[in-house]
Amino acid sequence: MKRRTWILSALGATGALVVGWGLMPARSRMGSPATMLPRHGDVALNGWIKIAKDGSVVLAMPRSEMGQGVHTGLAMLVAEELDVPLASVRLEPATHDKIYGNVAMLVASLPFHPLESEGDHKPAKVQIGEWMVGKIARELGINATGGSSSLADAWEPVRLAAAAARASLLGAAAAHWQVPVAQLHMDAGRVHHASGRSAHFGELAADALRSPAPAVPKPRTDWKLIGTPAARSDVPSKVDGSAQFGIDVRLPGMLFATVRMCPMLGGTVAALDDKAARAMPGVRKVVALDAVAGSTAGFAVVAQTHWHARRAAQAVQVQWQQRAGGGLDSARIQQDLLNALQTEKGFTFYEKGDATAAEATAPQVLEATYTAPYLAHATMEPMNCTAQFKDGKLEVWAPTQVPGFARDVAARVAKLDAEQVTVHVTLLGGGFGRRLDVDFVAQAVRVAMACEGLPVQLLWSREEDTTHDFYRPLHVAQLRAVLDAQGQAHSLRIHSAGDAIAPRWTARNLPALSGPIDAPDKTTAEGLFDLPYGFTHQHMAHVATRAEVPVGFWRSVGHSHNAFFSESFVDELAHAAKADPLAYRQALLKDAPRYLAVLNLAAEKAAWGRPLPEGHARGIALHESFGSIVAQVLEVSLQGGRPRVHQVVCAIDCGTVINPALVAQQMESAVVFGLTAALHGRIDIQDGVVQQSNFHNYPLLTLAQTPVVHTWLVPSTHAPSGVGEPGVPPVAPALANALFVLTGKRLRALPLTL
Amino acid sequence: MQLRINGQSVEVNADPEMPILWMLRDVLNLTGTKFGCGIAACGACTVHLDGQPVRSCSVPVSAAEGKALTTIEALGRKDQPHPLQTAWIAEQVPQCGYCQSGMLMAASALLAANKNPSDADIDAAMTNLCRCGSYQRVRAAIHRAAAAMRAGAA
Repeated sequence: MKRRTWILSALGATGALVVGWGLMPARSRMGSPATMLPRHGDVALNGWIKIAKDGSVVLAMPRSEMGQGVHTGLAMLVAEELDVPLASVRLEPATHDKIYGNVAMLVASLPFHPLESEGDHKPAKVQIGEWMVGKIARELGINATGGSSSLADAWEPVRLAAAAARASLLGAAAAHWQVPVAQLHMDAGRVHHASGRSAHFGELAADALRSPAPAVPKPRTDWKLIGTPAARSDVPSKVDGSAQFGIDVRLPGMLFATVRMCPMLGGTVAALDDKAARAMPGVRKVVALDAVAGSTAGFAVVAQTHWHARRAAQAVQVQWQQRAGGGLDSARIQQDLLNALQTEKGFTFYEKGDATAAEATAPQVLEATYTAPYLAHATMEPMNCTAQFKDGKLEVWAPTQVPGFARDVAARVAKLDAEQVTVHVTLLGGGFGRRLDVDFVAQAVRVAMACEGLPVQLLWSREEDTTHDFYRPLHVAQLRAVLDAQGQAHSLRIHSAGDAIAPRWTARNLPALSGPIDAPDKTTAEGLFDLPYGFTHQHMAHVATRAEVPVGFWRSVGHSHNAFFSESFVDELAHAAKADPLAYRQALLKDAPRYLAVLNLAAEKAAWGRPLPEGHARGIALHESFGSIVAQVLEVSLQGGRPRVHQVVCAIDCGTVINPALVAQQMESAVVFGLTAALHGRIDIQDGVVQQSNFHNYPLLTLAQTPVVHTWLVPSTHAPSGVGEPGVPPVAPALANALFVLTGKRLRALPLTL
Repeated sequence: MQLRINGQSVEVNADPEMPILWMLRDVLNLTGTKFGCGIAACGACTVHLDGQPVRSCSVPVSAAEGKALTTIEALGRKDQPHPLQTAWIAEQVPQCGYCQSGMLMAASALLAANKNPSDADIDAAMTNLCRCGSYQRVRAAIHRAAAAMRAGAA
């Protein structure tokens, strides 16, 4: 299918969904006071903002805090508009209303080239596509924390809701005191008049509800809080052990469960003898688990403590059955993908000029094949969920990135209506995309339904967590450049293959929207079709495969491997042209000034070109993802024959910066995450069994191995774009490029092995 | 079994073979100590036994008999936080925060033994894993707390 055909058919198919609505701007997500949870004494002014009796401001929080600082970031938007201290904004869990759906995340799934879709002058196809998908996203109302989109998504609706609250509070005071609004000002949760009269928000809230007023967010020149490194609101509870993660839920009479799933992915239980296990002290029962929401079948053991459950689970005698299609094998899958590159054209995501003609007259061709393995998420908090079914109602406590999906799957498993299910979202001990799936929620509900009204906390072992993930899919790519007589590339063809994530994820979590044919998935091609470099001829196509290994979104998704492919190859082209890798990129970025500025900032701050100590080398990489551009300059040496990264200088353009300290944290975080993958990360599958199981054979970077990270921000007045993921993609190519300088070896397979 | 936990004498009804981690979490509901790996590889479950850092997922309850067991809940008090907790807030160390109880317990054992740790000392002592990558700020916060403690003691 050609790209244009696909877009047109997608627009046609979605036409039915959008019939009957008018335009839905950010204002349509304001919601009504009834959208918020009622609580005695509180006055909700819209779907986002309530005023408590004591005058404090309450924000409906739909997004999950998993370390990225979103609870602080969103609260900052509200504190800014209402001129209250950040600490006085309280968070309350949002309901399941569609106003909390993440529109920005879905709009970002459109495969438009970023140079076409940024700024104010977008081509019609981009405008129409974004409008259409925005409508669909608004209608679906999927509450998801992912795609580095929380601030981008909340930017208009949350500020608008807070501005509306501000206007109506001022309106109420003006009416009450019979004075013009222009004579009023707000400070620290009070409205003041020049006469000295003042009232706190709580005294004005009931009247404010009756004085809705048109509002626009503050101009940026009036900002006091946005752009400052405000302290995170969740830190105090995270230094004294009081923060409540999923595994910290404690309920009266609670039981503890653990799982064993068939070690062969997609396999089943052939026979099970739990007699000995059930006779062990503290054990309550053994519950069969079917394959649900993408999981592999197995069983759970319920006991009085998690330790009793773990011990008994090992005592269950079980005969596992391989999946019907035979055992999965990652080495064979990689070979299949390489073969697919020879036999299949795939879906064309991007075309410019005529690469085929350029190749036909080529004096010189440079070609390389790159590979990246499966990866596990390895959140520090293993998968877990607590559930209780009592009096016809189901309550679920889950560290999840998708509370609506958690509710839906719980209702499906329990055969209840969604309205009979309450989901409490706890803090997440890491997410990285793993908690965009709800297999563990389904399992907990299955177990709770068998436990006669008692609450059950189901917690996976690290081994189950590592061996039953939704893995970052294995991908391969072939890159081919045509060089002129001077070694300058003018044509770039990229052909890649691997499993698509979005269709599998949709099938697991939104079965009603899943069709028999997979639509092309941007995540397969992101980081390959969307390059900023001005090669005259470009062609990028992806072969979407179905290897049947469970795959999911892994921090920075397709960019995580594709940036390694593309930015390593661009470096190869620089060396082929005998050019400095920085100067080579600069020359190709004449029509991409935002990219060039980020690249130059990183190079300048890293003192690119200045001599390094003997045995050290630098590498550079530049990559756009989730609307943000990141450049990194990395310095490496070898210690005992292994790479030791000393320093990484990051520059980022992420649009308007809400909180520079949070951006710097995410850059530091991304460097560690990216280096872990680049140096150590691989999941191998043999006969269906994942070979890695715990941190001894799926290691993470340690403190001692962590480089110094410096972060520099490009000032911007664009709307905010992603921060949580964009720092990850450039890490692996920057390291590979530095290692090439150091050793002369071009490493084209992840993890990097000298 | 009689145990001394966070300065209190506690009668605990638990299998002596049960790892300290699960006794704390599932018997006593002291949930500040976290489960990460179960094989003493990640350090999320670090507590002190007589001031020494141990990975409680792999130490049986019987090993705590006759010793002082200290968890994150007793590292400091609300009105008198440990200098490391103050430094952790000043440096904004935590992200998801899940590993931080263990990090703080490992760091406090380090500072109890070494009032002025070098970067190499910190590298050697702080082998706890953090998936969010807070390591750079962990290092800075340890230096900050060490300086504050030295200044306080002077």
